[in-house]
Amino acid sequence: MKILVSLKRTADPDNANKVKVAPGGAKIVTDGLEPKVNPFDEYAVETALRLVENGKTRIAGDTVVVASFGPKEAATNIRQSLAMGADSGLLFTTDDDSLDGDLVARALAKVVEAQKPDLVILGKQAVDGDSNQVAQVLAETLGWPSATFAMSVNLSADKKTVTVGREVDGGVVKLTLTLPAVISVDLRIVGAKAVTNNVTPAAFAYNDGPRFAPLPMIIKAKTKPIAEAPLASLGVDTGLKVRYTGFELPAARKAGIKVKDVADLVERLRTDAKAL
Amino acid sequence: MSDLFNPTPEHLALRQTLRRFAETEVEAQAAAHDRDEAFNLPLFRKLGELGVLGLTVPETWGGSGMDAAAVAVVHEELSAVDPGFTLAYLAHALLFANNLAVNGNDAQRAKYLPDACSGARVGGMCMSEPGAGTDVLGMRTTAVRRGDSYVLNGTKIWITNGAVSDTELGDVFLVYARVEGAPRSKLSMFIVEKGTKGFSLGQKIKDKLGMRASSTAELVFEDCEVPVENRVGEEGDATLHMMRNLEVERMGLAAMSLGIARRCIEEMNRYASERKSFGQPLRDFGQIQRHIAESYAEYMAGRAYTYWAASQLELLRPGHRLDSDGVKLYCATMAKNVADRAIQVLGGYGYVGEYRVERLWRDAKLLEIGGGTLEAHQKNMTRELRGTDKLP
Repeated sequence: MKILVSLKRTADPDNANKVKVAPGGAKIVTDGLEPKVNPFDEYAVETALRLVENGKTRIAGDTVVVASFGPKEAATNIRQSLAMGADSGLLFTTDDDSLDGDLVARALAKVVEAQKPDLVILGKQAVDGDSNQVAQVLAETLGWPSATFAMSVNLSADKKTVTVGREVDGGVVKLTLTLPAVISVDLRIVGAKAVTNNVTPAAFAYNDGPRFAPLPMIIKAKTKPIAEAPLASLGVDTGLKVRYTGFELPAARKAGIKVKDVADLVERLRTDAKAL
Repeated sequence: MSDLFNPTPEHLALRQTLRRFAETEVEAQAAAHDRDEAFNLPLFRKLGELGVLGLTVPETWGGSGMDAAAVAVVHEELSAVDPGFTLAYLAHALLFANNLAVNGNDAQRAKYLPDACSGARVGGMCMSEPGAGTDVLGMRTTAVRRGDSYVLNGTKIWITNGAVSDTELGDVFLVYARVEGAPRSKLSMFIVEKGTKGFSLGQKIKDKLGMRASSTAELVFEDCEVPVENRVGEEGDATLHMMRNLEVERMGLAAMSLGIARRCIEEMNRYASERKSFGQPLRDFGQIQRHIAESYAEYMAGRAYTYWAASQLELLRPGHRLDSDGVKLYCATMAKNVADRAIQVLGGYGYVGEYRVERLWRDAKLLEIGGGTLEAHQKNMTRELRGTDKLP
C-alpha cells in the first residue's frame, strides 16, 4: 500500500487577523506570519498514517509519501509530516504566488504517474484561499474515482476498495471506491475511530486530532529523504487559470447593542435587523 | 530556520510539539490538579510517549539524547500552562534520569533508565533535610557499609515525586548521604527503590502555596539496607555529581520561570485590550503600559540570558555555575514580578483562579526557593566572581 499526501503551507491560521491587504488591493500580505502546514493537510497525513498502521506499529512495506509545491522553505513543513511518521517527501519548487488549484492538480497528476500510489489523500481545502479544487480536478485529470470531505475512511481487508463516509444534509452518505482513488478529508476524519483498515484492532482508539510528533521521530525525520526539483521539471504547463482581480478587507463590524429583554430582542430583530 | 531560542530545526519542532501538547492535553487539567493537590500520573506517562521523559538520556538507554537548550524548550513550554506538573517532570527527567545518565555506570543505566524514559517508573532525588537546605553539606543522613550493603539512616524533605498519591511512595530515588566517617565535603549517592526495607513515606506535604500539581514528600530511611551495586560512583564522588546536576536543574527552573512569565504577559496583554475603563481600553493607560512593557522587556532579557547560558552548558561537565545560578536568580524573581503585574492589570479578576494568573503567581514564588534559594545563588555567584577583575 502506497499513499500520496499533498501538503500546502499556509500563513499561520492562528494569527489570521494579522493578514493585510497590500495598498491598491493587488495581493494579500502575510509578512511576519509563520508558514504552517494547512490544518486539513495535517489531517490528511494523519489519515494516511492510520491506514498504514496496526495501532501503534507500522505495517511492513506500506509507505506514505508527502508532496508539496512552493519555495525551498516548504521543506520545513514537509519535515514536520516526516516527524509525524511519513516516510519521504517531494518538494517541487516555485513561488507561492505562481500556483493555483488547477496547476497544483495537474502537477500532482504527474507526481501520481511517477509515484504510482494506491491512494491520494488531500485536505478538503487550504485555509488561506479556501478554493477547494485540487482533489476534484486531480481525480478528473487522472480519471480516478474520488470522494470529497471524508469524515470516515475504511480500507477493505483485501486493500482493493475504500469506503468513505461523507456528511451531507440529513445524514452520512457512504461511498465505496475502487482503488486507486482520490480522497479529500474533513475535520472529523481525525476522530478516535474515524479511520479503519481491518488490521488495527477494532478496540484501538487513536487520540483525537493529528498526532504529536514525538521527539525520537523528530530526530529520525532529519535523516528521511526529501527530493527537491523545480516545478517545471514535471513537464506541466505552469500557466495559471485563476486570476485574482483584487482584494479588499471585509467591512469592519459595527458594535452590537444591548437589548432590555426578550420582547425588546424580538422587536429589534423585526424592525432593525429585519430578520423576522 | 534557527535562532537563539530554537538552535536547530529539531528544537523548533520539539517546541511546536510541546506547545500543542500543552494547549490540548495539559491546560484543561491544570486548575483542578492545583486545587486538589494531585499529581497527574496518566498525563505524566504521555510525556514518555512524546520521548521527553528521557530528554537528555542517550538513546542507548531509551532516551532522546538532547542538550541543555532542549531542556529549556520543554520546561518553558510546559510551564506556560502548568508549572506544578512541570516541576514533577523536572524532578524525574533532570534530577533522576539526567543525574543517573551522567553519573551512573552502565549496569545502573540499563537497569533504571529505560523505565524512567518510558514513564513506567517515577523518579526523584533526595537532597534537602529538615535541618539542611542551602547548607547542603550539613546533611546528616548517613550510610554505613555492612558487608555487601550500605545501611542508610536519615530523613529527607521537600522531595518532589517523593509520593505519587497521598499514601504511595514514588518508585525510585537518588539519595545523597555521607558515608560514616567521611569528611563534610565528601557525599555519596545511592539508588533506593520503593519497597526497600526501611524506606518509607514520612508524609506527603500538604497545603503548599503553589506547585500543588506536583507531590512533595518527607521520606524516611530507617536502617534502610541498600546493596553496594546501588552506590553511584565511588564513595565521596557525589558532591561533584550534585554540583554538576544542579547546573542543569537551575537551567530547567529558569526556563520554567520563562514559561510563567510568557503566559502572564499574554494574559495581561489580551485583557488590556478587551477591558475598558473610563471609556478606553486598559492598554491606553500609561500605568498599564508600564506593567506590560516592562514585563515583556524583562522576560526577553531573561529568555536571552537563559538560552545563551543553555548554549554554553555541557551536560557532562561542571563549570557553568556562575550562569546557571545567574539565570535562575534573575528569572525566578522576574517571573514572580511579571505574575504580580498580571494580577494587578486584571484587578479583581486576576485575584481569582479562573483567570490563571493567580495560580502562576503562587507557582512562581517556589522558584525563588526550590532548586537553590535566591540567597544560595547570590552566595555561589559572588564566590565564582571572586578574583575576576575584568569580565570577558
